[in-house]
Amino acid sequence: MKNRLRELRADREWSQGDLAEQLGVSRQTVNAIETEKYDPSLPLAFTIARVFKLRIDEIFHPNGKR
Amino acid sequence: MMNCGYTPRDARNGWIFSAWSLAVAVTYVVATYVLAKTTLPRPIGIALIALALVCLGGAVLAFTRFLREADELLRKIQLEALGVAFGAGAVFTLGYRLCERAGAPKLDVDDGFLIMMIFWTLGQYLGYRRYTSPVEA
Repeated sequence: MKNRLRELRADREWSQGDLAEQLGVSRQTVNAIETEKYDPSLPLAFTIARVFKLRIDEIFHPNGKR
Repeated sequence: MMNCGYTPRDARNGWIFSAWSLAVAVTYVVATYVLAKTTLPRPIGIALIALALVCLGGAVLAFTRFLREADELLRKIQLEALGVAFGAGAVFTLGYRLCERAGAPKLDVDDGFLIMMIFWTLGQYLGYRRYTSPVEA
């Protein structure tokens, strides 16, 4: 699954640690999602969407389609 | 357990589990040594065994809590590592049982547990390698 997490985080000038703290996860988890080594659970995806004030499908794209 | 970027809650739960594990190691070794080398009154022997079992129970509960409250990537890595450990333990135990029938030396009960611990550690290492990379500042 592709995602725009790194791009959205950079737009807001947040570090991975800043985002991790807001999401209540480790920096490694944020890093693994950004590098697409790990797909987040649905609850975490909703939390990410809420933090960025976007819909889930504006952040995550199945099969790399945007 | 390996520590690669725990949240404060995971670090706390990890330390609690480590403390229980240390207590298990100490009470198990002491109970094993004392029961084998000395002739104690029966109630003291039972008390030593009970103490080791209480510590084992505490370690199991602490690890269950650690897993339940863990950051989701950490939980995934731990569950995969436990799968590797369980699988290796099962293969080793059942496989070696066949080898024993073919004349291999008899195994100690602890050997299967040792294999599980080794593969649990290996599984964690492989999990961290698979899912993580150096984090940004």
